[in-house]
Amino acid sequence: MSSPNQNNYSPPPGASVSRREFLVRLGITGALVAGSGVAARKLWQPKHFVPGFEEQKGMQLRSYAPEISKVQPSLAIAHGTEHEKTIRAAMTALGGMSRFIQNGDVVMIKPNVAFDRPPTLAATTHPDALRAVAKLCFEAGAHKVIIADNPINSPTGCFLKSGLTAVAAEMNLDLLYPETNSFAPLSLSGEVLKEWTFFNTPFKRATKVIGLAPCKDHNLCHASMTTKNWYGLLGGRRNQFHQHIHSIVSDFALMMKPTLVILDGMNVLMSNGPTGGRLSDVKPMNTIVAGTDMISVDAYGYSHLLERDIAELTYLHKAQARGLGNINWKDTIYKEVTV
Amino acid sequence: MANEQKSSPINRRQFIRTRVPAAERVASAVIVMLLLGIGITIAIKGKHFDPNLYAVRTDSLKSTAAAVEGKGGTARSAPETKTVPAEAPKAVVAEETSPEGGTEHPSDAPKPAAKGEPIEISLAGTKPMGDTEFYSSDNLYEKIDGRAPAYQSFNVQALRCRSFAVVAAAGSFVDVYEYRFDSPVDAFGMFALERDPKGKPLTIVPDGYAAEMGYFFRQGAVYVQIIASDLKPETLAIAKSLADIRAKDLPVDEKGLAGRRKLPTDGLVADSVSYVPENAQGLSALKEVFEAKYQFDGGEIPFFIMVASPDDAVTAAKSFQDFCSKFGTVENLPTASGAKLFRAQVFGKWKVVYQRDGELGGAFDADDGDKARAFIEKYLRGELK
Repeated sequence: MSSPNQNNYSPPPGASVSRREFLVRLGITGALVAGSGVAARKLWQPKHFVPGFEEQKGMQLRSYAPEISKVQPSLAIAHGTEHEKTIRAAMTALGGMSRFIQNGDVVMIKPNVAFDRPPTLAATTHPDALRAVAKLCFEAGAHKVIIADNPINSPTGCFLKSGLTAVAAEMNLDLLYPETNSFAPLSLSGEVLKEWTFFNTPFKRATKVIGLAPCKDHNLCHASMTTKNWYGLLGGRRNQFHQHIHSIVSDFALMMKPTLVILDGMNVLMSNGPTGGRLSDVKPMNTIVAGTDMISVDAYGYSHLLERDIAELTYLHKAQARGLGNINWKDTIYKEVTV
Repeated sequence: MANEQKSSPINRRQFIRTRVPAAERVASAVIVMLLLGIGITIAIKGKHFDPNLYAVRTDSLKSTAAAVEGKGGTARSAPETKTVPAEAPKAVVAEETSPEGGTEHPSDAPKPAAKGEPIEISLAGTKPMGDTEFYSSDNLYEKIDGRAPAYQSFNVQALRCRSFAVVAAAGSFVDVYEYRFDSPVDAFGMFALERDPKGKPLTIVPDGYAAEMGYFFRQGAVYVQIIASDLKPETLAIAKSLADIRAKDLPVDEKGLAGRRKLPTDGLVADSVSYVPENAQGLSALKEVFEAKYQFDGGEIPFFIMVASPDDAVTAAKSFQDFCSKFGTVENLPTASGAKLFRAQVFGKWKVVYQRDGELGGAFDADDGDKARAFIEKYLRGELK
């Protein structure tokens, strides 16, 4: 059936393929096909993972909380006029920073840098508060102090105008700005927070976590203090949680088990929060509250610093009902000192 | 012929290249490496979820909305139909209408800023710290986060803001925020909500004050905030200059604020003026109402005023009186200074309400009915300035 002419075909000189070359080419082709198959299998996802909407599990944060003490205070309230002295007094009342930070620790401090406001307007963590806490960490033997927050607005602008960039440079702190690859899916069995993108880079290195928040009025949830402060670790279009603000804030008490939280009530933003904008919104309350239970700390802050009725702060009650903290701070072991 | 056809595939195979030049091999390798790099980049990027990639950008729908605005659902628009440009802010359109509908600007008057127009200020001693930032109502939270809903409740359209470094004071800066609202009344509402009770009134604008660290005022449909970073004299001086410049550059528009202008200043309690767009005092008939508190004869009297058409004012007055009759006792008072008056006691508090032409107003929730009546009659006689 075949044409005799085809049998007469002979390749041009130098065009023939030897057995060895054929086998080499076959091997390379086979390896490429097999490699593609392995890569495709590794990258394949039966469903595209969209945090918050899919079932795939993301990372889970470990607890950074210290062991519960039956003799040492879990809450300290210090009154004074200078940030450093007052924070130092609060920490001493709590048993000293060395109770929480040990030699070689990498401490992640989470300030509230949500806005590009100057420090005097009390909408962000005050640079003097950060300086004092970082100093205490180093004194306790911390190897490194990281500061990180995820303001929705320009992070560099927010850190710069709030005065925290200058403190980071002055004290050689690691300032981590959120970048595209700084986030990873987080899983939580919260009331509304199930799966969401989370600013996790700082937690890859941190061995201890301290929340350092200003005490301020909030337009949606009445108050932004140490519990609400963790909101700044969420990525994505987190404003959609505004519809369930009390639920999401109470979820933060489940999400984060920090080593320590510190509420800066030296100057409190009493109205027009969370942004403020006028000095008349700010009231000097000259108080620092530190503790291991953010719900107790915030309960004190709401009733004694913002001077409001604790009954109306829904997210604290939700957290209390879920066993995530104690709203009755007077029932805890606490110490109150004046500098 | 048949032979030629059969031999053609053999002839084609004879053109197969088996020796590829080195340069071509290198180029091929580079292309393969590039493809590999792109593949790895996509794989790595794809591991980090960016919700913004999948977000609905409602901004992009506005051009569609503008394109069909005013057109029939299915009818083709007439060729001469004038459509609102997609990028034109609503307030801009309102300000360019006739005096009956709003404010007409003379050719040399300041014009409203177009969308995307940066804040350009030429002021000695300042240096812009960056470009102007722009936000719509939809993404305002990106700038002010949880404060955004308060502005949205007053129909904010857009925010543009820019920071200026103060050359004479290292590290100091002044922020300029300009919130544009649907109307001057909306802008006033938000301005009043955030008013500083200690603020000193400004003379450059009808609604504005100087606070310790900045200047806050409403000009037209824009609520301006000039915020200094500190209390250094150089910083505050720049803040004041910026406030003066912005007040002059923004167009004046008082549409809908007639009621506000009728509020007397004698005895006015600072920080007490507020604007209620609808359902004032729980009554649907009371719309676009201004409320304020006054010190009068040793007590405090809450006062409200609404300016509407005479027919609407009469209807609202009747509705108000019916409400008072239902929940309390009503007494009709003699006409005073051309106004119809009634006094009512509801839930233990006193109301003295008047209606004169298109103006409806009165004292409400007063502790003393006689003092409330005296206050209203004094107001109607024009004795309160």
